[in-house]
Amino acid sequence: MGHLSIKVHLFRVLGLLALSPLLAAPAPAAPHSRHYIDQRTGVDAWRWSGEGISLQLIQRLPDQTRAFFLARGFPRPAVERLASHCVFQTIFHNTAGSGGGVVHLNLANWRIDHGQSLILKKQWQQQWRRMGVPRPARIAFRWSLFPTVQKFAPGDWNMGMTTYPVAPGTTVDVHFSWRRHGKLQHGVIQGARCAPDVDMEDKTQ
Amino acid sequence: MRRLWLALLVSLVLVPMAGYGAGQSLTAMHPRPRAPGFALKDMNGKVHHLSDYRGQVVLVNFWATWCPPCRREMPSMERAWKKLKKQDVTILAVNVGEDVDTIFPFTGDYPVTFPILLDQSSKVIKRWPVLGLPTTFVVDPKGRIAYRAVGGRKWDGPALLKTIRSLIPPDKKPAAPATSGAGRQGTSAQADQVDDRKAQRGEEAQFARRK
Repeated sequence: MGHLSIKVHLFRVLGLLALSPLLAAPAPAAPHSRHYIDQRTGVDAWRWSGEGISLQLIQRLPDQTRAFFLARGFPRPAVERLASHCVFQTIFHNTAGSGGGVVHLNLANWRIDHGQSLILKKQWQQQWRRMGVPRPARIAFRWSLFPTVQKFAPGDWNMGMTTYPVAPGTTVDVHFSWRRHGKLQHGVIQGARCAPDVDMEDKTQ
Repeated sequence: MRRLWLALLVSLVLVPMAGYGAGQSLTAMHPRPRAPGFALKDMNGKVHHLSDYRGQVVLVNFWATWCPPCRREMPSMERAWKKLKKQDVTILAVNVGEDVDTIFPFTGDYPVTFPILLDQSSKVIKRWPVLGLPTTFVVDPKGRIAYRAVGGRKWDGPALLKTIRSLIPPDKKPAAPATSGAGRQGTSAQADQVDDRKAQRGEEAQFARRK
């Protein structure tokens, strides 16, 4: 009898142990946005997560933009045109499980303060053609920018630059949206600060 | 009662673990579209036609040296290649928009032994359903796109290897060892989990240093 009660007790303990991860596990997280410093580079970054997606905006320094595109054959005037705008390295991830459904993203629907749209790939490419940017450089540009329209199956993610019609150093609220199961959903990252440019004094040194 | 508790215990331990592999999946294509053909030169000037690989499983990976997730997944792709090449699986890494002079130094930092093909004019990638880099397609032995992965993956993970191996025609799969009931898949999976842990840790540390 005593042996039996020990067994029963043992199974109760095991049962509680088994349940503990569930008891300790957080409830499905409500959407939230947070600011952090990228440990590797020291730049500011923002992450919004919830509703089975995550979006990260990571500051991209104008000098990074200059170096990257000059190395890919962009002429200086075109590079300066780009570097005079706010650029974020952008990472979007469909974090939903296998039944979560495909996410449809269209950057044309995203807005910053005062309803301004992002500057999209097509608009830049028109400028580059007018400015005579060589084709290999335009190819590099095409794949460096975040696609305007993209579908993300569960587990899919992508990384690319998004560009905004404001100067480096500006702080913006980014209102973004996505569609899943036909339903349009929204989120906002508030107070994202575009990386400032170095001042001219620093540049001439 | 005892069985009930045991089942509860096992399920409760395993359920949270099921989410561990999230993000390491491939999207199955239904129906499977025909993979657009191509003829591209590799780093040594040899021309590879996709049609040359009919009858094999082919991973077609679109990438560029400047793309961080592309760089990050390369070591795992090389490890996957080492496990899969004897099973008639091919990896073709199609570089987009860059020349040999740009790619060559990259291969010093990220040594890979599968062919790197050059799509310098981006004519090929335009014919494939690619919007961002990296994107990888798994082409079945009939030349159809069976799976797609947008964004980087850890290609030598057991789940992805199992999915890729599932496309290998039965006559090309290695026979199960005669003395074991586990079968080749089981043997491969066990070996996959064990043999490259040290290499993986080393390569990931190497990647972190290079970033």
